[in-house]
Parts: sequence; C-alpha cells; structure tokens
Amino acid sequence: MSQSTRGQRRPIPSSAFAALLYGIMFAIYLLYSPSAITLAGITDLLNNTIVLAIAAAGLTLVILTAELDLSSVGVIAVTNVIVATVSTKVPGGAFITLILVCLIGLLVGLINGWLVAFLGLQSLAATLGTMIACQGVALLILEAPGGEVAAFIMNRLTDTVFGFMPVAGLILLLAVAGWLLFRRTRLGIAIYAVGTDALAARLSGLNVKATKWLAFGLAGMAYGLAGYMLGAQTGTGDPRISNSFLLYVFAAVAIGGTPLGGGRGGVIGSVVGAGILTVMQKLLFAVGVAEFYTNIFNGVIMIVAILFGNLSAILSLRQKAIMSQHRDGQLVPN
Amino acid sequence: MTTFQWLVTVAAVCTLIAPEGRLYAQNEQKYKVFLDMSYSGNTWQAAAANGIKALAATPPYDKMIEFKTIISGTDVQRQISDIQSMIAAGAKAIILYPLSPTALNRVIHQACSKGIVVFTYDSTVTEPLAYNVSNITARYGANTAQWMVNKLGGKGEIIFNHGVAGTAVTKTYDEQAYAIFKKYPGIKIVGDFYGNWNDATSQEEVSKILAAHPNVDGIWTVDGTYGSLQAVVQNRPNRLVVIAGQSNNGYRLMMADPALQAKGLQGISSSAGPAVGGYAFKVMMEVLLSKKKLTNHNVEYPLPWVEAKDIKMCSGDRFEGGCNVFPEGKVPPLFLDTALDPKFLPELSLDAVQTGNPAAGAMVQPLPDPKYADNLPGINCQECKAPADALEPNLVSPIPVAK
Amino acid sequence: MNDILTRSLVSSRTFKPETLTALLVLLGAVLMMLAMKVLNPGFGSVQQIAAILTTSIFLVVAAYGQGLVILLGGIDLSIGVVMSIAGMMIAGLTNGSNEALTWALPVTLISCTAIGLLNGLGVAFLKIPPFIMTLANGTAFFGVALGITAGSSQRTVAPALQVLMSAQIGGIPVPIVLIGWFLVAGSVLQSRTTEGRKIYAIGSSLAAARVAGLPIEALTIAAYGVSGLCAAIAGLLLAGYSSSATLDMGDPFLMPTIAAVVIGGACVTGGRGLYFGTFAGAIFLSALSTIITVLSLSQGWRNIIQGGIIIIALILQTKQWYLLSIVNRQLPGKQSLDGVLPQNSEV
Repeated sequence: MSQSTRGQRRPIPSSAFAALLYGIMFAIYLLYSPSAITLAGITDLLNNTIVLAIAAAGLTLVILTAELDLSSVGVIAVTNVIVATVSTKVPGGAFITLILVCLIGLLVGLINGWLVAFLGLQSLAATLGTMIACQGVALLILEAPGGEVAAFIMNRLTDTVFGFMPVAGLILLLAVAGWLLFRRTRLGIAIYAVGTDALAARLSGLNVKATKWLAFGLAGMAYGLAGYMLGAQTGTGDPRISNSFLLYVFAAVAIGGTPLGGGRGGVIGSVVGAGILTVMQKLLFAVGVAEFYTNIFNGVIMIVAILFGNLSAILSLRQKAIMSQHRDGQLVPN
Repeated sequence: MTTFQWLVTVAAVCTLIAPEGRLYAQNEQKYKVFLDMSYSGNTWQAAAANGIKALAATPPYDKMIEFKTIISGTDVQRQISDIQSMIAAGAKAIILYPLSPTALNRVIHQACSKGIVVFTYDSTVTEPLAYNVSNITARYGANTAQWMVNKLGGKGEIIFNHGVAGTAVTKTYDEQAYAIFKKYPGIKIVGDFYGNWNDATSQEEVSKILAAHPNVDGIWTVDGTYGSLQAVVQNRPNRLVVIAGQSNNGYRLMMADPALQAKGLQGISSSAGPAVGGYAFKVMMEVLLSKKKLTNHNVEYPLPWVEAKDIKMCSGDRFEGGCNVFPEGKVPPLFLDTALDPKFLPELSLDAVQTGNPAAGAMVQPLPDPKYADNLPGINCQECKAPADALEPNLVSPIPVAK
Repeated sequence: MNDILTRSLVSSRTFKPETLTALLVLLGAVLMMLAMKVLNPGFGSVQQIAAILTTSIFLVVAAYGQGLVILLGGIDLSIGVVMSIAGMMIAGLTNGSNEALTWALPVTLISCTAIGLLNGLGVAFLKIPPFIMTLANGTAFFGVALGITAGSSQRTVAPALQVLMSAQIGGIPVPIVLIGWFLVAGSVLQSRTTEGRKIYAIGSSLAAARVAGLPIEALTIAAYGVSGLCAAIAGLLLAGYSSSATLDMGDPFLMPTIAAVVIGGACVTGGRGLYFGTFAGAIFLSALSTIITVLSLSQGWRNIIQGGIIIIALILQTKQWYLLSIVNRQLPGKQSLDGVLPQNSEV
C-alpha cells in the first residue's frame, strides 16, 4: 500500500459482513448439531460447499465487468459428464481430465466472451443460448446419469490431507490466494475498471473488449473446475441441469457483497456467500424447520442476507468516501 | 481480545453447553425415521409422500417411530447434504426419492455402514447396501409397446411422448419401447417430443403434431397421458386413438366411457404409481423391526395394469371389491388411482393419500413375501448383468410380425 | 428510393427501429416454417399454424409482464411460480362450477398481483437486486402453496374457462383472437400511455429520470405488479386449456419468457423494446419448438439447436443495427446517429 495510507484504517470489505453472517449461522447450526465441529463434519460441509463456491468465484469475474453469465450450469454439466466418461479410461486420468475440463471450460467461456464483447450481444441472452447448447452437448455425451469417476478423484479429493486439512478447504484457500494475487494484476484491475465505468476505462486506454473476453474465459475455466469437483463429490456424471443451482450461484455472488451491476466486490465474498447458502440448509435441518417452511425460509433468508450485504456496501462506501478526502484514493478492491 | 478470538470463545462455550441433539429429543424407544423428498409440488410426489406419512401415523407405527419429512429440492448436492444431516441426527431408517442412481452412493454407503436402513422408492440407486423398491424392472416400456402393437394389428402411425430427458427411467423405457416398435415394419413413429411427464406440455405438443399428421393411430406415453388424450379429443373428436400411459382418474373414466370407445379409444392404464412409496415404507419398517429379512436388495413392486374392461367404479372412499376408479367430481381428473393399493396398502383411504392423515381405525397389516427384481445395470446394481430378455414384454404375448 | 425509405423509417414516430427488429423476428419464424414445409410437406397446415398460435398464448401473455420489468432494467424470476399458483387457485376455488368464477377470478388475480407488488416493493424500497428479490419471493410463495395444497393437483377448473380455450369465433380459435386483442392492448399500454413512456425513461437512464422527477418507486412497483397480473392471466388460461392444475405447471415457461423478450429486441439493461417485439419472440419460440419436435431429434440435439438459434437470432439483430447505422451515415445532411441508435425516442 502507498505510504499515505499507513496508520489509517482500510474500509471494511463487504465480504467481511458476509463472513460475519456466516459465522452467526454456523454458530447456531453448531448449537443444534454438535457434530458440526468435528473434522468429519467440517469436511462434509466443505465438500458440500466447494462446487457452488468455485462456480460463484468464476461468475464473480464476469459480474465485476457488469455482465451476466447463465452458462455456469451448462459448463458444469458438460465437464461433469466428461469426468465420468473419460477419467477411468485414460492412464493418469485424474490429471488429464483436469486439464481437459479446464480447457473446455475456457473454450466455452471464450466463446461467450466473444459473443458478448466482440459481437456485442446482450450477455443474459447470449449465455442463455450457450447454456442450453451446453446441456445438449452433455446429453449427447451421456444420456442418463452414470459413468464412473476415477477413484483418485472421488476418494482423495473429498478426503483430508496432513490429517487435519480437508482437501476441499485446501482448494478454497488456494482459490482465495489466487484471487488475492490476481486482483492486483493488470487484468484484475482492468476488470474492476471496466465494471465501474466502461467508457472511462476505454478512454483511459484499457482494452474493454479484451478484458471482458478474458473475464468470461476465466469464468468458464472456473466452471469447468466446478464440474470436476462435482464429479469428485458424486462419483458419477449427470447431464441434467439443476435450475435451482444456477440461481444459487447468482445468490452466492450477490449475498457475498458483489452487486450485480458490477465494479465492486470480489471472489472472497462469493465464496463466503456460497458457504452461507450451504450452511443455511444445514441450519434449517438442524433447527427442525418443517418441510414446507424450508422454501419460505430459503426465500426470506436470501433477502435478509442481501439486506445485510447492502448495509455493508453502504458502510463501506461511506468509509471510502471519507478516506478519499484524505488521500489520492484509488478504489481498493476487496 | 480480537473479534476472531471472541467468536472462537463463544463457539467453544456453545459447544460445551449445547444439549446433545436438542430438538430431536433422544427417546430410546422411538426409532428416528426420515422421508427425504427431492422433487415436490407435483401430484405423483404429493400422493406418494402422503401415503408414507399416513402409514407412519397409523398404529402401531405411530408410537414406535419419530417421523420427519425433509424436502431436499432438485440439486443433488443438497440431497447429499441432507442425508449427512440425517446421519448426524441419529436416523435409524431413511426412505428417499433419489435424484440420481449413482451420485448418492457414497453417502448412502456411509449411512448403511452406520446401521441405518436405507430404502428408495420408484427411483433406484446402484449402491448395493441400499434397498430399492420399484417397478422399473417390470418392463413398462416393452409391455405397453407390445400391447399397443397388438391392438393396432401390427401397423399404424404412432406419436411417442418421452418423459424427462437425462433420467434413467426415460432411457430404460424408451429403449424397451423402441425395440418393440422396430420389430414391426408396419408401425411408424411419425412424431416424438419430450412431454416431461407434464400434462399441459403433452397436450400442446400432441395438438401440434396431430395437425401435421391427421392419421395418427396411437400415442405412447409414460405420463402426461391425460393431456395427450385431451389434445386428440379436442382436435379430432370423432376418431380417437390407441393410447398407453398413466393411471389418472380422469383418464380411466375416459377409457371406460362407451361413447369414447365407440370413437376408437382403446387405452391401457399402467405406469409407476405413488403407492410404491407406501409399500416401500412398509417393507422398510418390517426390515427395521426385524420382521423380515430380504435376501435380495431389489424388490419389485407390481406394475399396475388396467384395461378398459377391468375398470370398475367405486361407490365409497376405498378401492374395495375390485373397484379401481372414482366417479367424476369426487377427485380431480389428474388424481392418480395408483396412489391406492387395496392389496398391499389396505390401511390407506382416499383422504389419507390426499392429506397425509391416517385413516380412522386403521392398523398396519403385515405384507406377504416380496417379489425380487431383475438386475438392471446402472439402474439398481453396479457390477451385474441384465437378464437376456430384458427388452421383451412379460405381461403381453406378442403378435407375429406380418411378412 | 433507398435513402428516402430509410429516412422515413428512421424518423417516423410510428415506425421505430424496434419495430423493424420485431418484423424481422416474425419473418424469421415464417422462414423457418417455410423451410420445414419444403422438407416435410405435411408440415405447416392451417391446423398446425392454428395449433402453434393457440399454444403460444401463454407465453405471449406472460412475456408481456416480463418485458415491462426488463424495460425497467429488472427481471422477474417468479413468473413460473405465479402462473402455477394462479392455476391452482382458480381450479381449487371454482371446483368445476361457473358461478364460483365471479368471485374466484378477482381473488386469484388480486392475490397474484399482490405477489408481483411485493416483488416491486423489495426492488424499489429495499433496493434488493431484482434477480434475487423475485427469485426469493417466488421460492417463498412456492413454499406457501406447497404447504397449503401439499402439491396435490386441484379440482376441475370451471367449465367456462375450458370452453374459452377450446371454442371458436367464426372459425378462428378464441385464443388466437385473444392474442390479437392482447397484442394491441399491450402495445398501447406500453408505448403510448404516459406511464409506459415513463417506464422507458427510467430504464434508459435512472439518473436522468430522477432529475426529471419521475415517480420511480411507484412505477417500479406497478411494473412488477403488472408482471404478476400477466403471469396470473397466463396461469388461468393454462388451467383452462389443460382442464387441470398442478403446482409445477408454470415451470416450463420462465426461461422462454426471458428468451422471448430478448429475441424480440429488448435490451436487458432497460430502456428499449416494443411489446410487438416480445410478441414476435414468443411466436418465434413456439414455431421453433414445433420444428424441433418435427425433426424428431434426441433431446441433446434439440437443446443444441435451440441454443444455437437463440444466439443466431441475437447476432442478426445486432447486425441489423450496424446496417442501419451505416446506411444512416450515408444520408445527406447532419443526421446524427441518435435517430437510429436505439434510444427511447418517444420521451
């Protein structure tokens, strides 16, 4: 950080408020279900969260540029069925399949990015089209749930390492670390700039189209990775798309403090948002909510979480406004 | 102390003071039994769940078990998470409608290893430790297709109404039906669509296809039968079709209507019925209470099979004396008659399957020995082989192929 | 002459560029059908066209509300649930009797409009993103409906509704007549009334609308309310058409309403789009699904074609803008791009 900020408090990122909400929810969940704090309990929770978390992380990149991306579930379906059909057939299958799904995700993402950034199509509609097309491809590869995921993927990736660290947790830490590095790169900063004000970004010399194109591409790669992890969780492939999962991915991003209009927020918040949605289900079960009310609670809690996030956004904006009076503030991404 | 340290302290204190399994008060005499639904909000699932709930509240089970229903939704990871929660909450038995035949295997294996009895109904899993109760092995596709071919005399134009794409059920039944239709060169499939087991969708699509192929002779469906038939009745009322499909009350009434039969309606009422849920629950309870020991983990629930001549109107609230359809207006047209099963589930009344409340004065009756199911790889078993005649009908004798 | 035609197209108040988009989409639908007729002579009979149009009414009505909301820059994800709730309510309340319609109809319509108004309140006052607000609201009310009905299908729908959907006026099915009427009424409401134009303005530029003192909150709430109302009407019609109601009957319609609005030329960020365009989009999708059915492909190929055609339709729309802007630049005189590039020219 620049010298002039030494000694001054940084604005609280909105992901901190999401983390606070998560902490509260987890504490209540723990209260009703003491096994939640065991290693097995935490491993299970992280395993349940990781697919949503990685998908939400990818979506964040696109939303930061003020675009939308519906194709996450489509890419997940395709890569999931590929993991289930290829990973046992090829030597070193786990690793090769990983490369393969990342490439496929990247390819679909770049196609999305090309449609939106270079051809100028509206992102909601274009990615709706690619999502539907991807599901078609998934159905062609595997027409009913089945296939088999390599034992290494299925067993090792859902387990723990070093005796205490769930692999899913390790992956999330790596993702967060990767994000902290990425957001300081030129591309990372460009993504924020484009999302905040595309015209100003272009006038200041940034290549808006290339930035969006790459954002979509990286998001696609993240979706590919999420499909890979889904293969690890379920041990099989499933060509069907869950519409509710698509909406959870968006909810995770919004709850984590990244507004759908772009320019603010970050991956950390989205990962926490995914955690909130996952622990919410555990919480509702543990507290003993009757089955019909589950849906109602799901809806209400989502709204409450957003309000919470809005509150954080207002507070953090106020803090930034105050700070920018004291120094040549560059907007600090979280 | 920093905020983080405060949070950790609070969490630790809570762990110490939290009573063990608070809301699920551990009552040593009662078994904790969970029903886990995935799909919800459609007639079939509601009737199946109501049947199970009613049975769980019927003596003597109402005093023996602590029963709870969970709706996991259509995301398979959520179903996995809920089953893990059930294991943590001390479940003794779980009956579920699995979203995938394979994705839940690991968590079900975990549950079974802890001594939990796990049963699935209608939709099956390939995990060997789980019990499957279904009629997916009863060859619905082959039997209904052959029945249609027999009625059509081996030739005619057919509309094919697929179920939901990407499900094991659709793949299995479609495969069987296509294999039969292909054997007869006089049978032509002039149109097919994905009705997704939805009557409104089926009605829309059939009316569009019918407009282009006015000489359609038959419609093959798994569900959405009522809607498919409605499309024909509205657009071509003087020439109806040979149709195979579900067991909606409205459909059975139409099948049995002499006026419609005179216009050419020939129907077979079959397809998986919601009563399989109640039956699976009863089998599960008998296994749980050690009243029965199953040698095979796959149980076959008999396939409903009602032709027009077998249809008999009921005068009361139960299927008694061989009656199998309610008069118009007593139940909605989409009500599934196969929610009731007088042979295996005499404890269920009409009210029970519509509300989930137990029938007054009912007592749970013991079940006869179960019939075990064929192996279907990828459906109810992993390393196994299907019988050689898996695509052949076993309820209907095929007519010879015209040369 | 070419430039006179373009200039008149462009500068005429009645013939906006969006109308051209809509006409092109309709033309696309017709071309698709003609191509199918070549491949399959049985295709495209009058009955089939009538069937296609009749079954497109649900989408036409529901997409109107979606279009209004998208004009504002929002989105409504509760449409599927509201349609199902409306269908369930009218079936459950009328239970096969026509007399009950007199009170069951207003009760159903008002309840579903209320769900829409709730969406609007959340978006306008609580500043919750429309994506989340409508999704969460829809989920919650699905839960309420599930709790009340346990998901069982409802009683028979009042015969009057069933007759409505299957009767004919002068040889034309009633639903097709209704579609025509709805198209006119909807277009007028959206583009010709002051309220409608204010919605365009808000969608175009929120800041400018605020400066101009437009009643943003009130109109937002109203737009979502209308969306709920349209979903309710579509649900009623669907219940009448299929003579029954289930809690999942509206689900297949949600994504198509979004697709119809977007294919019809509306801009998802708001401020641009005619109802005629949405209407054209709905007809296009209905024709597309029929063609896909006729081609008898596996579901995998159906999805790929559907997705591909949506993208192609979008590309063609964008190309059309480029074309018009290029043509415009050739015109003599200082004609700025503003006349051509999509803006809310009526405000």
